Amino acid sequence: MEKKQSVVKRTLFSWVSSSSLKLQASLILIAIVMVVVCVFPLEMQKRIVNEAIILKKFDLLLFYCLGYFLAVSAASALKYLSIIIQTQISQQVMAEMRKKLYSHIISLPLDFFRKTQPGLVVNSLVAELNVPSNFVGMAIAVPVINILTLLAFAVYLFYLNPLLAIISFSIYPVIIFLVPILQKRANLANKTRVDLSRKLSGRIAESISGIHEIHGSGAYCIENNKFSNLVKKLLKIRVTWTRYREGVKVTNNFFTSLGPLIIFILGGYLAINGRLDLGALVAFLSAQEKLYTPWKELIEFYQVYQNATVTYNRTMKYFDIDKVYDIAPVDRDTYELTGALEVKNLSFVTEDGIRLLTDINISLKPGEQLALIGFSGSGKSTLAKCIAQLCKYSDGQVIVDDKEVQALTKLDVVRNIGFVPQEPFMFQGTVEENLLYSCAAIHEEAGKSPATCKPGLDDMVRLLQQTGTFIDILRFGLSALISRDHDQELAERIIKVRRKFQATFEEDLEGYIEFFQDDKYLYHLSITENLIFGTPRQKSYAGESLLNNKIFIDFLNQADLTRPLLKLGAQLSEQTLDILGNLSPNPALFEKSPLAPEELDSFKELAERLKRTKLHQLTKEDKDQLLALALRFTPGRHKMVALPKMLENLILEGRALFKDTVTARKPQDFISYDEAEYIFSQPILNNIFFGKITNSTLHVQEKINKCIVQLLIEEDLLDLIIEKGLRYDVGSKGENLSGGQKQKLSIVRALLKDPKILIMDEATSALDNNSQSRIQNLLETKLRGKTTLISVIHRLDIIKNYDKIAVMKAGKIVEIGTYEQLMSMQGVLYELVSGKK
Amino acid sequence: MNSYQEKNDLLAKSEFQENLDVLREVYFFSEFPLEVLKVFAYLCIREKYKEGDIIFSQNDDDGRAYYILSGQARLSRSHENKEVLVRTCGENTFFGAFTLAGMANRLFSLTALTNTCCLILTREKFQDTISQFPDSRQYIIQGLSDSIISWEEKYLNENINCDSCRSIMGVSLI
Repeated sequence: MEKKQSVVKRTLFSWVSSSSLKLQASLILIAIVMVVVCVFPLEMQKRIVNEAIILKKFDLLLFYCLGYFLAVSAASALKYLSIIIQTQISQQVMAEMRKKLYSHIISLPLDFFRKTQPGLVVNSLVAELNVPSNFVGMAIAVPVINILTLLAFAVYLFYLNPLLAIISFSIYPVIIFLVPILQKRANLANKTRVDLSRKLSGRIAESISGIHEIHGSGAYCIENNKFSNLVKKLLKIRVTWTRYREGVKVTNNFFTSLGPLIIFILGGYLAINGRLDLGALVAFLSAQEKLYTPWKELIEFYQVYQNATVTYNRTMKYFDIDKVYDIAPVDRDTYELTGALEVKNLSFVTEDGIRLLTDINISLKPGEQLALIGFSGSGKSTLAKCIAQLCKYSDGQVIVDDKEVQALTKLDVVRNIGFVPQEPFMFQGTVEENLLYSCAAIHEEAGKSPATCKPGLDDMVRLLQQTGTFIDILRFGLSALISRDHDQELAERIIKVRRKFQATFEEDLEGYIEFFQDDKYLYHLSITENLIFGTPRQKSYAGESLLNNKIFIDFLNQADLTRPLLKLGAQLSEQTLDILGNLSPNPALFEKSPLAPEELDSFKELAERLKRTKLHQLTKEDKDQLLALALRFTPGRHKMVALPKMLENLILEGRALFKDTVTARKPQDFISYDEAEYIFSQPILNNIFFGKITNSTLHVQEKINKCIVQLLIEEDLLDLIIEKGLRYDVGSKGENLSGGQKQKLSIVRALLKDPKILIMDEATSALDNNSQSRIQNLLETKLRGKTTLISVIHRLDIIKNYDKIAVMKAGKIVEIGTYEQLMSMQGVLYELVSGKK
Repeated sequence: MNSYQEKNDLLAKSEFQENLDVLREVYFFSEFPLEVLKVFAYLCIREKYKEGDIIFSQNDDDGRAYYILSGQARLSRSHENKEVLVRTCGENTFFGAFTLAGMANRLFSLTALTNTCCLILTREKFQDTISQFPDSRQYIIQGLSDSIISWEEKYLNENINCDSCRSIMGVSLI
């Protein structure tokens, strides 16, 4: 089978020949017609002067003017059409270039990405391909149209007056000589510009990726200086580039503008002597002037060509790196290996000549388990990566069954080897999509539908339980909102669970949950929520807009709440400012504050006014500010002020009043908390509780989860909630997941493809003791004998049951054997374990 | 009537003020300036544990300091698969100055023996506060060294006649 040419080896012109030939042919056709319609007005011009005006024939004047009009209209329409077709071609080519280059880039060796900033790749794919693809769009049309037009005008000029024609063309050789000299310099500047733009994109990407470090170290100046230096350089080179580029245009303009001067002198002389008629002189001047447009476009085309070549070659050259491994086998099926692993005399030396691994020898039978331990920097992770084909080793061999790992295709490796890194990556999408990522990839590459790798829910649940991920998924499912239109039946079942939950667990969970009860104040709800005691359906009853709601303000007055709330607001403001007033706005410190960091200044000013004024003398704006603060006061969260008992009772009375007056009058504006009704604006969990959790710490969560799981099993709802949990959106880079959750999901992801060799590179480092033990248990019981395991471990208390332990030091294996053997040798492992103790 | 209400009615003090009173009594915090203590007091949380609940576990780095407000807890250490009772801790016991200062795995486990309420400050919040008051870093070191010295002094007074204890005396010499 013939190998396809790599995108980075293709010339810019190869894109022209591979672009839509139909569109290119239609452009040529348009070009020919355009030439005719461009010359036609010149002839009309001549005839208008010579035949219509001089012979005073009005009907001819009208006739020729009509011809002129039609030709100009057709020329404009054709020009528009040719631009549309060119754009179509260049956009198609750009899409194709992007797809192919992206596909090439993501298959490049990992080493390349260690040295390459993501921003640079983004810049290349997004910005730098614009000019080359624009060039491809115009590569045929522009030269054809303009050269034909130029030729047509030239022929017409010769037809009018050969001598004048020769003289007026004499300036073009000068231009042809000068322009390339200037363009060469522009190209040099452009090359530097492309490199600098790439560097600038890389720098931006690096700063954004390391933004935590910048904030943490307050290194704003350092980063600003680095960025400014690059911007300065880029500015300088862009100015130079523009200078030469515009120099080309100005030189061209200057010389072409000299054309009419020559015609005036020579043509004027000939006309005065009667050797040239006036009409011919006018037509000649017009034609000569019209030469300028195609010529200008040709020069511009030349510049685009030069820019495109430089940008294209520079971009492709950067990514012109050979792929180390083929993606899929060509003339055979993917290998199904048994997992026997032999590492022989393996060494790894970096490009800088630093030796990270020396003479490593390991032998594992299928299903055996090896722990790799040692100090940081001893080469454990590098060795794990070499075995997983993620690092290209310099010397020696890694043999799985009888196959050398370096010679395997990527598909062979991913089919047989699972790799779990210390910091796994999650892609934006659902939990399920992330779990099935590796499995679906194998199916897709092998030409099967990715959907076929989907395991049954029971298998998935079993694996989730074995890895301790089940509770996380359940929690995600319980945080889902359900739809009033589609999930009515589920809502009714959850209400049943709610009743059972309160009846069964109220006592066990006392102090952890505040249940919604009409006559009880909820300390983990705001004052507004305690008053309304339901979900508003109108924006005018939500958030700060309440203060503009006359009905609500009247209600506060009627319930005698306005003044005590103002007083509470003032007290809250005073206390919060006393504690946090002088802190810099770190959001973590304001989590339990009723004041947001950005409100500090305005409340400080208000506090100053309060020192000079009585509460009732404040302006409406000041009062609103205090009232808003008091209404968001949540005693269970904002602990700087105690809620006075008197106010608490007033609020409870206010709740009843609100229900009897406002809610009764405007039932469409609220959904009151009602034990028999599902609250669609709240997640499933809150609907089961029908209340608010007062404590979100781990041990409380575990207790609540246990109760919920018990009930969901009893009500046959567990699978449904797990399915909802699997559809949970993990956010960009998995931002909605904790480090431990990412690690657990990554382990499940690897196990789902059922690899024969599993490599775990400190894959449980972010897990708590319980989760770590659970995973260890899974490895020791379910995987032993089935999957060959290589586990890079930093905790020494979990290595005892491994079949072999390899202790690494400075890139070498200094000891290898069972735990008992190594401990009895009293070597490095013994020292490490004793040191720990 | 829950405990929150009881406190409000009887003491008419906010939880913040109560926390502040507690912290001023704790050896490790007592030297910090009032403005820093106020932030600590505001950032403290309260957690209730029921009988048998694990408050923290050996080998975990939970990153929290605890002050037992009410109840009793069992401090133990797991050694060669056996749980050894170290001592029973009651009200006003404080754990965790080292945890606040930096990452440290627990050498002990603490389990609630009765319904227990703890005042808790996390390392993250503690460090966030310290970074707002850089001058107060000195009090961390001072607090830790004072704690070690006072502990050793007590240990020496109680065990100076114990022959087997003498070989491990001198923690304050580190």
